[in-house]
Amino acid sequence: MIKLENVTKTYSPDVTALQNANFDIAKGEFVFLVGPSGSGKSTMLRLMNRQERPEKGAVWVAGRNINDMPDAKVPHLRRNIGNIFQDYKLLANKTVFENVAFALEVIGRPRHVIRQQVPAVLDLVGLGGKQERFPHQLSGGEQQRVSIARAFVNRPLILLADEPTGNLDPATGEGIMRLLDRINKTGTTVVMATHDQRIVNMMRKRVIQFERGIIVRDQARGVYE
Amino acid sequence: MISRLRYTFREMWASLSRNLTLTIAAVITSTISLLLFGGTLLIQRAFDNQLKLWTGGVEMIVYVKHGADEAQVKLVESALLSQSTVVESAVYCDEACSLDVAKTLFATDPSALEQLTPQIPSFFKVKPVDQDSSEILRSLKTEFSTLPNVTDVRTPDDAVDLLGRLKSFFGVRTLVMSVVLLFASALLIWNTIRTAMFARRREIEVMKLVGATNWFIRLPFMLEGLLQGIFGATLGSVALLLANDNWTNGVKDFPVNSGLKAFVVTDGYPVWVCFWMILLGAFVGAVGSATAASRFLDV
Repeated sequence: MIKLENVTKTYSPDVTALQNANFDIAKGEFVFLVGPSGSGKSTMLRLMNRQERPEKGAVWVAGRNINDMPDAKVPHLRRNIGNIFQDYKLLANKTVFENVAFALEVIGRPRHVIRQQVPAVLDLVGLGGKQERFPHQLSGGEQQRVSIARAFVNRPLILLADEPTGNLDPATGEGIMRLLDRINKTGTTVVMATHDQRIVNMMRKRVIQFERGIIVRDQARGVYE
Repeated sequence: MISRLRYTFREMWASLSRNLTLTIAAVITSTISLLLFGGTLLIQRAFDNQLKLWTGGVEMIVYVKHGADEAQVKLVESALLSQSTVVESAVYCDEACSLDVAKTLFATDPSALEQLTPQIPSFFKVKPVDQDSSEILRSLKTEFSTLPNVTDVRTPDDAVDLLGRLKSFFGVRTLVMSVVLLFASALLIWNTIRTAMFARRREIEVMKLVGATNWFIRLPFMLEGLLQGIFGATLGSVALLLANDNWTNGVKDFPVNSGLKAFVVTDGYPVWVCFWMILLGAFVGAVGSATAASRFLDV
């Protein structure tokens, strides 16, 4: 599903975010990207949805080298990739329903599809009764669930999550991980950047560890070291 | 398709009403700049009309010495008509006729008339073949001034020149002003759209990440700018038509010899100018917003 070949990304001559990174992520895998702040985890996620382009190497997503992809095709790539953020990135002036529907609306899905898919995905994330609430009326965990619903409503092939539990207490974070695990079991590939040791150790999924832009460990059913 | 259209118009309207103050400022600037642009075109046209009237009715006045006898007058007349390639006609107005004309011209200045009456000259109204060239008028003037018993030759060449210079003076300056204001209007629309996009940058970032195309994001903002340009141009057009009507009606009351009678535009030209103003307003709005909308899309 995702393949990196000798990927190097630098932001300036002195700042190398990633150096010669290589790995393969199969369809339906759940992978943690771990490492300290500034080690290259977020850059890796940004490379996977073409927010960034590497100086060297190739990033393959669903069989296509996305570095060579014309800009006009990038929106179509992104329709197959859901994004979850630490700060949720919800739109404060829209209700829960509207925040999720927004993701379908901007890619031109018809109204009847939106009316059908949004309540279904909100039920899936456990927010069935809170469609008309605004983000400020929800807890942090609920806001992250809205963010997950928005990322998953289009049934993407891949979910990229950047520190999704970073702003949540341990119990709420566990709830979010259970939800991501459920989504992963539907066949969606999940790639999650985190430095939450407890969660990585609890899930026992594949772990790719970064240090100063270099992959130092790639371990199946790994733990945080 | 319908849902996209609905989305585009809904977002455009939301953005317009959210930035109401900036929107009003952009519309007013467009109105003023386009009004000035349209006004420039109408002023140029009015000058053209005035010039046409003056050059179309150009007559040289060749004054004959007071008390000249019939033979002397005949001599002048035959000298004038001998220039058939440049003189179309020469009509004589004797001293009695000349006094009648003077009475009309000096109706409000009896003392001037009184001074003129004892020495009033007779004159020939000479119509040149080529009435558009002030050079020909000048050369004829020089030639006729040397004829015996001719005291003076008057031509409107100076007035024609003056009107031409006035047209160029006002035309260039108002055109430069309108171009500067049009640029200001495009900048203001650009700034309005940029502000609108900056206010919604988080939304735009999310849109980009969920796979919205740049055109889908850009379109409501471009429509917003287009609408501002068109709205400003429409207001400017209405103002221009009203001002033109007001001027035309006002000029009607001026006397014939005021020189303002033809300084009006009464044919379909103002409507044609309004059409161009709206087209230009739309262009300025679209260009301003399109360039502004290209920012914040680099996610």
